[in-house]
Amino acid sequence: MQAITSIQALDAYREKIRSKQKQDLPSVLVCFGTGCLANGARDVAEAFKQEITAQGLKIDLDVGFKTTGCHGYCENGPLVALRPRDILYLKVKPEDVAEIVEKSIKNEELVERLLYKDIKTQDVIAQYKAIPFYKHQKRIALKNIGNIDPTSIDDYILQGGYSALTKALGMDPDEIIAEIEASGLRGRGGGGFPTGRKWRSCKAVESDVRYVICNGDEGDPGAFMDRSTMEGDPHSVIEGMIIGACAVEAFQGYVYVRDEYPLAVKNMQSAIDAAREIGFLGKGILGSDFDFDIKISRGGGAFVCGESSALMRSIEGKVGEPRAKYIRSVEKGLFDKPTVLNNVETWANVPEIISKGAQWYAGLGTQGSKGTKVFSLVGKVNNTGLVEVPMGITLRELVEEIGGGVIGSKKFKAVQTGGPSGGCIPESLLDLSIDFDSLTEAGSMMGSGGIIVMDEDTCMVDVAKYFTSFLVEESCGKCAPCRDGLPRMLHILTEITEGRGKEGDIERLEELCDVLSYGALCGLGTSAANPVLSTIRYFREEYEAHIRDKKCPAGVCKELITYRIDAEACTGCTACAKRCPQECISGQRKEPHVIDTNRCIKCGVCKDICPVDAVRVE
Amino acid sequence: MQSELNKGASMEKIKIIIDGKEVEATRDQCVLDVAREQGIYIPALCYHPEVTSSGGSCRVCLVEVHQGGRMRLVTSCNYPVREGLEVKTDTELVRRIRKGVLELLLARVPDSEIIQDLARRDGVETPRYFVDEGENYRYKCIACGLCAQVCDEVVGVNAISMLARSREKFPGTPFHKPSQACIGCGACAYVCPTGAISMKDDEDVRTIWGRQFKLIKCSVCEKPYIPEAQADWIVKTTDKDRSFFDICPDHRK
Ligand SMILES: Cc1cc2nc3c(=O)[nH]c(=O)nc-3n(C[C@H](O)[C@H](O)[C@H](O)COP(=O)(O)O)c2cc1C
Ligand code: SF4
Ligand code: FES
Repeated sequence: MQAITSIQALDAYREKIRSKQKQDLPSVLVCFGTGCLANGARDVAEAFKQEITAQGLKIDLDVGFKTTGCHGYCENGPLVALRPRDILYLKVKPEDVAEIVEKSIKNEELVERLLYKDIKTQDVIAQYKAIPFYKHQKRIALKNIGNIDPTSIDDYILQGGYSALTKALGMDPDEIIAEIEASGLRGRGGGGFPTGRKWRSCKAVESDVRYVICNGDEGDPGAFMDRSTMEGDPHSVIEGMIIGACAVEAFQGYVYVRDEYPLAVKNMQSAIDAAREIGFLGKGILGSDFDFDIKISRGGGAFVCGESSALMRSIEGKVGEPRAKYIRSVEKGLFDKPTVLNNVETWANVPEIISKGAQWYAGLGTQGSKGTKVFSLVGKVNNTGLVEVPMGITLRELVEEIGGGVIGSKKFKAVQTGGPSGGCIPESLLDLSIDFDSLTEAGSMMGSGGIIVMDEDTCMVDVAKYFTSFLVEESCGKCAPCRDGLPRMLHILTEITEGRGKEGDIERLEELCDVLSYGALCGLGTSAANPVLSTIRYFREEYEAHIRDKKCPAGVCKELITYRIDAEACTGCTACAKRCPQECISGQRKEPHVIDTNRCIKCGVCKDICPVDAVRVE
Repeated sequence: MQSELNKGASMEKIKIIIDGKEVEATRDQCVLDVAREQGIYIPALCYHPEVTSSGGSCRVCLVEVHQGGRMRLVTSCNYPVREGLEVKTDTELVRRIRKGVLELLLARVPDSEIIQDLARRDGVETPRYFVDEGENYRYKCIACGLCAQVCDEVVGVNAISMLARSREKFPGTPFHKPSQACIGCGACAYVCPTGAISMKDDEDVRTIWGRQFKLIKCSVCEKPYIPEAQADWIVKTTDKDRSFFDICPDHRK
């Protein structure tokens, strides 16, 4: 391909690819996100290619066909979208493909069984954007994902890609920074630091060398928004970085990606190569005198490597260990040079802000948190997946409208936000607005945007123990409060959940939390108290029940519960007695059965198998 | 590794306030160094003024800094002084958190006299948390990393480093095998704040990090005083002659 060396040439190039494409061609888009691939999307795509030809059609002439990044609705994959009618088929199997081609591509019919069916209203919805999971979303960072083929730079350019870069090249660097500042964009990696202010302070430091870095470490278990972006729309991140580099006058950029994300590494690398070939990276970008290039740096995957100072050490080839940030990395960052580090999602927002203007962006969200945020919604809700919503919607809207409410007939108990060192928010605060400041005030945090919905069967002490044990293992071990304090916190929590809790344990936990929050070196340690503190704050009576009454109200902590069969309800079907691994259930057929609690190991098999729900947990 | 401080960057004089008193400092100093010049007590374990990468790990040197209406608790050993900075070394918050840190360190290495002393000074006799047994206990190691920093930055041989993470983090030689890079100089044992590194001289043999080193005897006093490997290293990296090491420093003219 010939390099594009002027803004006019880019416009001409876009027109050229547009004119080559047939307008309004019916097209098939198969999701190739990690979730859909795992569910067999590759076979579905193959089947489409064969079936289209078999039915006498030609790809690109009669039917468009492409594979895309993640649509976010992973549990319903493989997903297939049809354009321009905007139909979404769920859980598509290769066997379904012939019927789809026949009915929905050659003709205007629908394959009803593959459409979304609302579990509450039983409504069948064909239109992609009418499905509740998508209806309430506002996609900016994710706008291209699912629409474009991430391995095709042309596809990105066709959607208007790289026009923000051409606009930025015509601006003064300070003007770019002012635009980002005015947009109110705050970092999406957790801290929520104002992006424009970060760029400005970096630019203000005297230096001939500056760096920009994209943080794609994403160490939160369960979070996958950054991975989906790097896999599904790598050019938006690259374009954002080029604009940022242009603003702060950096000549080299790094994308830090964990090794566990091979597809993200592959798609980012091929996108970087394609951008360089066409002249968006390298020397004299688009005919200007601005030089900039991007390298990928692969990380070993420790959670703490996402922390800014540890990440920079890791890129330098050293052990990824945090260090004090009393001198900020905008002054002394990578290789001791002024450095701007931003999260994947932060970078992906930049081109849209430059294209549409700061005012447009600042019009979305709340006073202190502008724009949108991508969340990975998981746990006990009907719809799980990746969603992008305007800042300021309430937790209730997220859980009930987008998430479709709690699964089954269970009651909602709490949402955990912010990743492993986030906090749990109770039902009484469900109308809380989702923004940086409200979440922090409630004792949790935005973090990278993980949202776990918990129902009444969740023990909050057990939840605190779970997250603390994750942090115990992920502590880098450099500083005493985190390294030696977290294991002790975990020990107390374990004692409580196993029935050995003592009066004063809650206070000792609070003291340890205090030492961590004030005394630890990096953000991992200083935020590690959140799971414990927030559960004590909102669910103190549950801690007390464990400690004083030796009871687990949610029926989770094995040492504190007993299984009993309700004689009234039991029909004597013998199903439980046959399956009990301890063989400790006795009783005659058609007579109520009894569990020998001394031998019971509380595995819960009887409860799961009982057809009349006669097994009680106390 | 780089320093947090602008060591050597500037000798420019500035004024800061420590515990209500205005004092003079140079721009390249950390708060701890300035406080020490003033005879103010701040405990510190993992910091060594000659090792630029040291500090920040043990967290016992915490102080409050106030600037621009904002208060932060910071480690004084790597907090650079700035014009107009106000430092408070003995507030309720400082004492409370430091006591908590020392209680944790005591739970980790209950046998270390220095930790016992520091903890007692802040009112901790026995920790209220479970006490470590096994490795930490035996070695009295608080994993501060100063040994590895000295080996790398001052000695320059990089024979030991901090291995693993979380509670498993300890200094050691690669794969815990005797290190060929080690010159037996003992600098690590010398700087260790808790005396956790075992080094034994038996006649003219020194044992450290699982290796034995033959010591050179002074031709005057006959006392073994430096490992041959260390002398060889110095000869290799400086312009000193091997014969320089025939006589110990006490008897050199
Ligand atoms: C323990 C720890 C882990 C972190 N992990 C990530 C991460 O995986 N991705 C990320 O973007 N930021 C992570 N951060 C936040 C970064 O330190 C940094 O604030 C962020 O990358 C800055 O970018 P932003 O301003 O665009 O958010 C982490 C912070 C801590 C303390
Ligand atoms: S707070 Fe934890 S992760 Fe951060 S430097 Fe200290 S030990 Fe390492
Ligand atoms: S002496 Fe400052 S942290 Fe150890």
